[in-house]
Amino acid sequence: MKKTISILLAAVMVLTCALALASCGGKKPAEETQKLIVGFDAEFPPFGFVAEDGTYDGFDLAMAKELCKRLGWEFEAVAIDWNSKDAELSSGNINCIWNGFTYTGREDQYTWSDPYVDNSIVLVVKADSGITSLADLAGKSVMAQAGSSAVDAIDANEEFKNSLKEVVQLPDYNTGFMDLDSGSVDAVAADLGVATFNISSKDGAYVILDEPLSTEQYAVGFLLGNTELRDAVNAELLKMAEDGTMMSIAQNYVDEGLVLESLCLVK
Amino acid sequence: MHILDIQNVRKSFGDNEVLKDISLTVDKGEVVSVIGPSGSGKSTFLRCATLLETMDSGTLQYMGETVASMEGDKIVYTKDLKKVRGYFGLVFQNFNLFPHYSVLKNITDAPISVQKRDPKEVKETALQLLGSMGLADKAGAYPCQLSGGQKQRVSIVRALAMKPEILFFDEPTSALDPELTGEVLKVIKQLTEQQMTMVIVTHEMAFAHAISDRVIFMDKGVIVEQGTPQELFEGTKQERTRQFLQNYQR
Amino acid sequence: MVGELAYAFINTFLIFILTLLGALPLGLAVYFGKKSRFRPLKWFTEVYISIMRGTPLMLQVMVIYFAPALVFNFTVPGNWRFSAVIVAFIINYAAYFAEIYRGGIESIDNGQYEAAHVLGYGKAQTFVKIILPQMVKRVVPAVTNEVITLVKDTSLASAIGTVEMFTKAKQIAVSPRSPGMLTFLVAGVFYFVFNAVVAFVMKRIEKALSYYD
Repeated sequence: MKKTISILLAAVMVLTCALALASCGGKKPAEETQKLIVGFDAEFPPFGFVAEDGTYDGFDLAMAKELCKRLGWEFEAVAIDWNSKDAELSSGNINCIWNGFTYTGREDQYTWSDPYVDNSIVLVVKADSGITSLADLAGKSVMAQAGSSAVDAIDANEEFKNSLKEVVQLPDYNTGFMDLDSGSVDAVAADLGVATFNISSKDGAYVILDEPLSTEQYAVGFLLGNTELRDAVNAELLKMAEDGTMMSIAQNYVDEGLVLESLCLVK
Repeated sequence: MHILDIQNVRKSFGDNEVLKDISLTVDKGEVVSVIGPSGSGKSTFLRCATLLETMDSGTLQYMGETVASMEGDKIVYTKDLKKVRGYFGLVFQNFNLFPHYSVLKNITDAPISVQKRDPKEVKETALQLLGSMGLADKAGAYPCQLSGGQKQRVSIVRALAMKPEILFFDEPTSALDPELTGEVLKVIKQLTEQQMTMVIVTHEMAFAHAISDRVIFMDKGVIVEQGTPQELFEGTKQERTRQFLQNYQR
Repeated sequence: MVGELAYAFINTFLIFILTLLGALPLGLAVYFGKKSRFRPLKWFTEVYISIMRGTPLMLQVMVIYFAPALVFNFTVPGNWRFSAVIVAFIINYAAYFAEIYRGGIESIDNGQYEAAHVLGYGKAQTFVKIILPQMVKRVVPAVTNEVITLVKDTSLASAIGTVEMFTKAKQIAVSPRSPGMLTFLVAGVFYFVFNAVVAFVMKRIEKALSYYD
């Protein structure tokens, strides 16, 4: 009797674990190209953010949505934690990352569309700080979003990195700009779009250094090898750049800090 | 037929042999007191009889039914212990009332949920028993609201409500303030008048003298002497008994 | 903003309540597992408890969420992003509750078992009628601590992008024309008020159980 109860209990616990690990499905469904599941960071305006009405909005989401409409595909946007983007992609929870996703330096890690934004990593400092060049930042603290391409850009420029007092990695840029405001960091390294957006709302309190830390490009990333989906998306993306759709969508996001000049597919 | 028949009990805790071949029979209506110094094994003996301890060897019968017997040198307990437990009740030194149950529920829950008796009949019996022990107004109280003497009387009622054939007491007054022992002893005396069969482990010598049919003196795991109260308290032939009693009278 | 946070708070509350509904009973099962005389079950439970207590909940949430797809190549049907949080929270909190229950049960005087034994209660009856009610009363203060921690821990669901109140607050704070820091202040007020309500409810439960002793 006691043994029976023990075994029963064991079974219950194993089941609980199994519930966590297994499922009724068992097999991954075949790749469905008629559905585009876009993974994005809802804390990354102007490419993905929460609009005033509480819905998800952003240049990249609007583009993706329009692209699906034109292709007759189903569209789904999934807000993800940016640090988990690779796991989300390989687990199939999303099938592309389309969110100001830096192509430069990650060429071999994903299957990419053509770059559609040429962005640079720039440094934002307080207007009254007296800092005007990268060299002026020697011995200072620079903030960058953890896991972002700004961190990669700093790492790539070893001389610059070694001249700094520290690189402060925070989960989001909002915190970074608050730190800049409070003086606990001296500069924020960010994409041009992010930087432009953040200084636009602060009435000239911040400036962007003329000298960029690096230049970089944004593209849509797919799971490595998923060329089928990439090809379909890319072809339509080029058409949208060609026929003016991209530019007209982009106009809606200028207020949020989208730099029209950075759209490199539009000529 | 004896109510209780326990023979040749041996029990050790590690290397310490606490019971060395103890035997006792109790007949209907008998009141047996067990006395002896601390560590003499009298409580362990009681716990063996009430199935709180497993004997190392020995036999045990209640109402002629075998509870434990020897097969070779191995002791075997019957599977149907539930029925056997209905034959006896035990009153603890520390009462062991259930703190989250009211007095009435403490008394009635086991008869209803273990013995499956009619709740109405059980409740009436309980209230009547409480009344006979001067606790009529305490039915709705919780144990924490009672004095030690009241708690012990409730625990006696709880044991009686199971309608046992025999009632064991394990030093029922030892945890009480001296001024409260009287009310408990009075209740036990009351039970002797109702022909209740009882085995009482106690340090109350005068009480044992007054109410017992038989007194057993235990020391160092053996029964040194047994007999009527007169034989033991007034005319013992045993040196150890005499010494023990002298210590108590001083 | 308040409306959006309030809406996201529904998920926070769901994580909270579903975790309690799952973990409070599961904790008891885990306790029994740990006390089992069936060795493999006992070992399994002990390893499980030490992993749950020895690693961060945030990491557990991520493992539960990603492991099916990445390690076992399963796609869990339904809203796994949310369910994974619930599963991770339940098995994590059950481990803590099991230890609290153990403390509560072991503090109960052996005399209670003996009295029940002599009165003929079976093992199950003894546990359900005598031990469990006394244990519940004794563990309420410790459980209250865990429950209040749970309210705050719900924010860890943001590790996998589950949209509960904290995730939402982070999103709103960086959105264009957002009130910035004020968002976190409002979110903080939500958590604080929720915890005040939780503390009040637990106090009432404690009081309701104090009819004895």
